[in-house]
Amino acid sequence: MPTVTFLPSFRKAVVDREGTLMEAALNAGINLNVVCGGQGKCGKCVMFVKSGVAEFDRDQFGRFFSPEELESGACLACQTRVIDDASVFVPESSHIQEQKILIETLGLETEFHPSVWKYPLVLNPPSLDDPSPDLTRLLWGIEKKGGPREGKIYAPLEVIRSIPRVLRDSGWKITATVALVPGGYRLIDVEKGDTSSRLYGVAVDLGTTTVVVFIRSLVDGRVVGVASNYNKQISCGEDILSRVNYARKGGLAKLQSLAAESINTAITRAANQAGVDREDIHEVVIAGNTIMTHILMGIDPAYMIEEPYVPVVRRYLTAAASRVGLEVKENAGLFIFPAVSDFIGGDIVADVLASGMSESSEVSLLIDIGTNFEVVLGNRDWMFSCAGAAGPALEGGEVLFGMRANPGAIEQITLDLETLTPAYRTINHEKPRGICGSGLIDLLAELLRACVIDRTGRINTVIAHPRIRLGPHFPEFVVAWKEETGIGKDIVITENDIKNLIMSKASILAACITLMNEAGISRNGIDRIYFTGAFGNYLSKENAIIIGLIPEVPLERIRTIGNGAIEGANIALVNRKKRKQLDEIARTMAYIELNATPSFMDEYTRGCFLPHTDLSLFPVVEKMLDECRIHRG
Amino acid sequence: MTIRTLTDWTGVVGTVMLGATAADGGTRSVSYTLGGESDLPFLGDPPSGHIPLVAFELCDDPAIWPAVVREYAGDLSNDPGKWAKAAEADYGADLVRLSLTSTRRKDFSGYAALKTTIQEVLRKCRLPLIVEGSNDPSIDSEVFAVCGEAGEGERLLLGTAEAGRYRSVAAAAMAYHHAVVAQSPIDINLAKQLNILLHEIGVPSDRIVIDPYTGALGYGFEYSYSVMERIRYSALKGDTDLAMPMISAPTDSLTVKEVRDAAPAARQDIAVKWEYYTALSSAIAGAAIVCVRHPRTVPLLKDTLAALWSGQTPGKV
Amino acid sequence: MPLKALDIYKLLPRKNCKECGDPTCLTFAMKLASGKGEVDKCPYLDDNARNILGASTRPPIRKVKIGVGERSFAVGDELVQFRHEKSFYHPPGILVAVSDLWPAERIREVTIRVRDEVLTRVGADLLLNGIVVRNSSGEGPAFRRAVEAVEEVADLPEVLMAADPAVMEQGLSVCGHFRPLIHAAARENYKGMAALAKNYGCPLAVRATAPEELEELVGLCTGEGVDNLVLDTGSSSLHQFLNVSTAVRQQAITRTTPAFGYPVFLDAAEYGLQDGALVTGILRYASVIAVEEVDRASLLALLTLRQNIYTDPQKPIQMTPGIYRVGTPGPDAPVLLTVNFSLTYFTLQGYLESSRIPCFMLIVDTEGLSVLTAVASGKLSEGLVKESIKKFELEKAVAHKTLIIPGYAAPLSGKIEEETGWKVLVGPRDAAEIGEFLGKEWKR
Repeated sequence: MPTVTFLPSFRKAVVDREGTLMEAALNAGINLNVVCGGQGKCGKCVMFVKSGVAEFDRDQFGRFFSPEELESGACLACQTRVIDDASVFVPESSHIQEQKILIETLGLETEFHPSVWKYPLVLNPPSLDDPSPDLTRLLWGIEKKGGPREGKIYAPLEVIRSIPRVLRDSGWKITATVALVPGGYRLIDVEKGDTSSRLYGVAVDLGTTTVVVFIRSLVDGRVVGVASNYNKQISCGEDILSRVNYARKGGLAKLQSLAAESINTAITRAANQAGVDREDIHEVVIAGNTIMTHILMGIDPAYMIEEPYVPVVRRYLTAAASRVGLEVKENAGLFIFPAVSDFIGGDIVADVLASGMSESSEVSLLIDIGTNFEVVLGNRDWMFSCAGAAGPALEGGEVLFGMRANPGAIEQITLDLETLTPAYRTINHEKPRGICGSGLIDLLAELLRACVIDRTGRINTVIAHPRIRLGPHFPEFVVAWKEETGIGKDIVITENDIKNLIMSKASILAACITLMNEAGISRNGIDRIYFTGAFGNYLSKENAIIIGLIPEVPLERIRTIGNGAIEGANIALVNRKKRKQLDEIARTMAYIELNATPSFMDEYTRGCFLPHTDLSLFPVVEKMLDECRIHRG
Repeated sequence: MTIRTLTDWTGVVGTVMLGATAADGGTRSVSYTLGGESDLPFLGDPPSGHIPLVAFELCDDPAIWPAVVREYAGDLSNDPGKWAKAAEADYGADLVRLSLTSTRRKDFSGYAALKTTIQEVLRKCRLPLIVEGSNDPSIDSEVFAVCGEAGEGERLLLGTAEAGRYRSVAAAAMAYHHAVVAQSPIDINLAKQLNILLHEIGVPSDRIVIDPYTGALGYGFEYSYSVMERIRYSALKGDTDLAMPMISAPTDSLTVKEVRDAAPAARQDIAVKWEYYTALSSAIAGAAIVCVRHPRTVPLLKDTLAALWSGQTPGKV
Repeated sequence: MPLKALDIYKLLPRKNCKECGDPTCLTFAMKLASGKGEVDKCPYLDDNARNILGASTRPPIRKVKIGVGERSFAVGDELVQFRHEKSFYHPPGILVAVSDLWPAERIREVTIRVRDEVLTRVGADLLLNGIVVRNSSGEGPAFRRAVEAVEEVADLPEVLMAADPAVMEQGLSVCGHFRPLIHAAARENYKGMAALAKNYGCPLAVRATAPEELEELVGLCTGEGVDNLVLDTGSSSLHQFLNVSTAVRQQAITRTTPAFGYPVFLDAAEYGLQDGALVTGILRYASVIAVEEVDRASLLALLTLRQNIYTDPQKPIQMTPGIYRVGTPGPDAPVLLTVNFSLTYFTLQGYLESSRIPCFMLIVDTEGLSVLTAVASGKLSEGLVKESIKKFELEKAVAHKTLIIPGYAAPLSGKIEEETGWKVLVGPRDAAEIGEFLGKEWKR
């Protein structure tokens, strides 16, 4: 089999003859940027063949390159077959760009009620007087130690098989591990000696892009290790839809193993950091969106992206972690969060658990913003949920100088209302390269306050100011002159960017209002707004209200709960009482299909205005705008 | 038989004045107050507000005007002044809407001619005038300035402001004391947004006439109809951002397939009926001004509006 | 005001027993709120809840069926005053009048025309609904012969208009079993008319010129056992009709005056302005409209108006997805993609026609959503575009691979290029600018 050497890192990997460079890269652990899932469509997985034998179909895919590039060996990794040993250069742009993965959480305290216990036992050896069988002896021992009654514990065959040896080899000093499972208890392991201090569990947030893992002691609940990494499925497509399409084309097994591998990598990293042996991990709890958890469990998600959008399972799932390829203790239990619908998955159920809204009489509005958004409104008695597409603008996509929250992104910005001079802060304090979501929201709010844009987002080109100018296609506002930037170009925001941002924010606001209307609740009836997810964590709450991304409520009612999915998974890991509530939470949450709600479009149009067509819904913003207008004349 | 309707309204449609008579420093033979309605259209004895007005619409460049009208009007269609006079004297229109279609020509630069045309129309016809200017942002500001100035003192209704281009027409209207047509694409929220935008640059409500955009009968008219009903309803419910009179000015009524493909002998009749059904429906939905382009539609409409307004039926057999 | 889901939920037992077939009481409440559920599916409702919920779901205006067979129609069963609040459901029947003074031949001619005249618009066949037989002669036999003439040539729904029950019976002896509308019971003849309506199982119009009288008369007729009533307000002018009909609709849907919970009759010929009366009737709640003969011009407009007004505002008229041609485009002609919302289609088509540039329109199935909506909701996606290009064999129609998409679909341009391999040009947001856009951008 040929070996491929990747430059400049000199990582090597073997690949089947005629295998693709993409597969080789995957084997070498290189996280390639493959937006289309390796279909030769996105042109992102660019490599340059420096030497060796590899075939690239230029007729079909050469259109992505200039003749000069082709001349120097340019190819698409996903469409290049390795025939013999080769050495290949991977430009920086072909790697997945590193970005912040959110592992911060609200840090809610929860009671410690684990679902797995270790019982160190010293048993009397059997004798003619005491001839009870090994297993009974063991289970009685557990019962005597305060564990579940003997008759309630189920012992699987493979554990029973190990018992006689372990008992005798250890001199009848052993540690039994018992887990709470649906319908009772399960003896999952019997070890020699006293290992009772080595009992760990893992909470996992399995996201479309990232995986976050917490390792916690299940003896006392301490967090001992945290790690995160990319979901390796990205090499099969960036967004969820392309993953499903990949699965449809026979790729389910591969996606499944990549999901497991992504979790394993993170677990290993966290375990190493904590000095924990993976064999001491006895339980894994996973919250993820519905499609991710389906894929991890090896359940075909193909029908979930077609009408009528029905998942295969909604309820929580349990299995042995090893059955899906997780490298932890063989019999360790796996608990997968229940989902509400195709679009409201276990990650949102985890958000809800983390927020505590399902236990409060107060009415909360929980918002998870990404390219897709999810919104939940309700309290302990009732909950409505909905999901929709916000478009990529708020994450920096479809915006000329938009970017993800990577180093060099302008993440905060204010304008001097007199001179229109911006003051901004970038991630890692590098020279600005673009603007990320939180910066864009600030910018929109500031341009509105400065009366540079009207409430539809159109730039008032009548204002004579060097920063306001007619761009090649649209009027634009210069945020940073090229001398200040790290890209040698003026960073601007165009009227078209602003429109895309407004359309994105309008769909989120309209979703919130649609749920509020469904429940008959006004903005004053909202006691809490929770932002979850990376986006919500960094944005300015005040500016989110000024632009009408969310309904106006007093700022102190707004909280960010960070990564609610990992938070919820953590809670469920260490607190079985909360875990028990999950199915009920998922069932209580009624799902509202926005497309089938006629008023949604009306609300959307009303929301395509800053902050909203009806200012009486935004009294504080109204006052602020009046002042700004007077100020500007 | 009369029975009271039940709805409790809290709002009133605001008023807009059109046309200035000698008493107001203009030269119009009449001036109109639009708006003032405190109930749904035609409800009450007598109904609140004012009877809807019928505007005859003509243009300064008939090249893009409906063939069926050119055919009927003959040479008149090449002379806006004479045509406007006929609208007053022969057709019996309440007011005239002059559409400056010449500005749609490529590389338009005939600003001086616009001025002449408007002045000519104002001289030959003493009815209040609606002027529909350009629809190209790059010439808007000059066109509207010319229109505004040419009609100074006559209290025109100047069109058309849209969300993407409202500043120049608003500026001309404010400078020369005219009212503004605010057009939005068949959506109550967009109509409201545009009114807010106009307010925010200083155009008061009593200078704004809402044009919710009227689609042709059979080609989306029902959307326009419902938007007009919703706007009136919201105004009466107290939404002051929507409490302005409305104008209905369908541009495609006479170029629809039903008219284009009609047998020549029937074409005129079909055109008139198509326009009549559209305009009357708009008035019942709440339009204060309905615009028509076929001369024969004007008297038919005026008769029916009178019958709906007062209960007296002209020409009853 | 219809109840909100949460209001209904609070009336439900909230035990999530699933016996209604829904997973939770909340989802059941959402169904009830949207009018899709049946209150009785919940076995645990208390009387108070049943009263509140039952009352809000019973139709406030009675549904009345006129005629039998293929052309029969039902009217009434409306819920709202404004179509934008939900929808108008049952378009008014428009029936053409014949007189029993006319020779049978003339009656047959009119009937045949009503039977056969069809207007096809956006995939629907629009028809007049039936025949009104007027007893102008005042005599029974003539009336009977007129009804016979109608029956000879068509099975159309009928309205029999006669003031004398004896005369009416002559007409009913011919068509009484085909459920004609009997017009009309008044104060002085209601007993006879009601008896006929009951005997023949026909709907009955009641006519009074004062509201109290009308209300009383409705009571009298239902007292006689006739439930399928139609109200004739006897208005003396169009102005009055509009006022009364509006008030009747309001009082019916708010259940203020239950006696007004019936469809309304309008004789459009009564006011000398038939077209005006037709427009007023269609817009202002008439359910059965009698007209004198209408010419083709009026017919086109009135059937179109009726179709427009009775379209469900929440279910826009949809175009069949596919490739449409404007002019006679060649293989180099531009291809413009848009959605199958009929208004979008017609608007764009109109501007394309006036641009005089022959081109193709690729209409994709967004289930009638407009461009903005379809983009926002994800219905318009690169996948749909790809699928449509393939399904409608666009590549066979043109010799290039450039697609013009609506301005509001700009966010999809990159994805469409990736997914389809077609080059994408982003067109204007406003269809009115399409001519200019093509003039500038389409250089092939």
